[in-house]
Amino acid sequence: MWTLVLLVAFALLGAGVTGLLSFSTVASADEAEHGLACPDYPWPHDGILSSYDHASIRRGHQVYQQVCASCHSMSLISYRDLVGVAYTEEEAKAMAAEIEVVDGPNDEGEMFTRPGKLSDRLPQPYANESAARFANGGAYPPDLSLITKARHNGQNYVFALLTGYRDPPAGISIREGLHYNPYFPGGAIAMPKMLNDEAVEYEDGVPATEAQMGKDVVSFLSWAAEPEMEERKLMGFKWIFLLSLALLQAAYYRRLKWSVLKSRKLVLDVVN
Amino acid sequence: MFHPTIWCDSDDYRADVEVVDPKKCLEESCKPKCVKPLLEYQACVKRVQGDESGHKHCTGQYFDYWQCVDKCVGPKLFAELKW
Repeated sequence: MWTLVLLVAFALLGAGVTGLLSFSTVASADEAEHGLACPDYPWPHDGILSSYDHASIRRGHQVYQQVCASCHSMSLISYRDLVGVAYTEEEAKAMAAEIEVVDGPNDEGEMFTRPGKLSDRLPQPYANESAARFANGGAYPPDLSLITKARHNGQNYVFALLTGYRDPPAGISIREGLHYNPYFPGGAIAMPKMLNDEAVEYEDGVPATEAQMGKDVVSFLSWAAEPEMEERKLMGFKWIFLLSLALLQAAYYRRLKWSVLKSRKLVLDVVN
Repeated sequence: MFHPTIWCDSDDYRADVEVVDPKKCLEESCKPKCVKPLLEYQACVKRVQGDESGHKHCTGQYFDYWQCVDKCVGPKLFAELKW
């Protein structure tokens, strides 16, 4: 028993020493390693019962298509997912028909190309990761289908990143081919600044400033990563409400049944 | 010199004026609130300018300044955008 206590004590001591040692290496690590912490922006869909701004999703998809799709795939989204969210069925069909899709072997055993349908996924800019890396100086532009869930504080991070391209601080030089972005871990990102004022002409006439495009594209990406969000919030509200009623009912019923035992009297008496 | 509040909304009634990015505009208007870290950064820049070793840099002061600006801009920015 005492050997066990001794072993545990040594293990804890070892862990403590390792912890202290790791502090000494952390002190020399640059804060740029983690990137500048991004602020929390008040997204309209943040509230407990708030839905997405669908006009923003529509504009965001336009930004994605015109600015981002040349390098970033969104291979988990299909054209039909956009129906009822950002576009009508006819609009989505027309958009899908603009792309060429390679389809399965025909009766003669040959692959053929056909115009896109609603059931097709959004087109990929590169055939595979190697092609993407080769075209972008070794860096892989990640797929954006889940990006706001795949990064810590995703929505705010992506917005801060896209609108945060600045001159580097004094003493920092970025090599040719990379660009400085304080929010990117390490500070040197392969993607150049893509959002510039009026890069896109919005269909609905909203002025396409850098911040506006950033907000819209992040709304679109948030929807793409969490399309179920609105239904989830409605379900959550409904079930929390109903279960609280059930809880009250259960509490009352329990107390009712136990009242018999809780109100009994025991009398201690002496037999003479 | 007192500066009046800078209007950063993109609904400009002057049709001939090009669009102003609200984020840049708000960052400018938040500068007075973050003078202290800005001066720290500028002092660091001066110290680094003379450096030959190439190891000195001002990332810390830069981050402090931009964190201050971001905290100021964050709550205000989306009010200037269409939503």
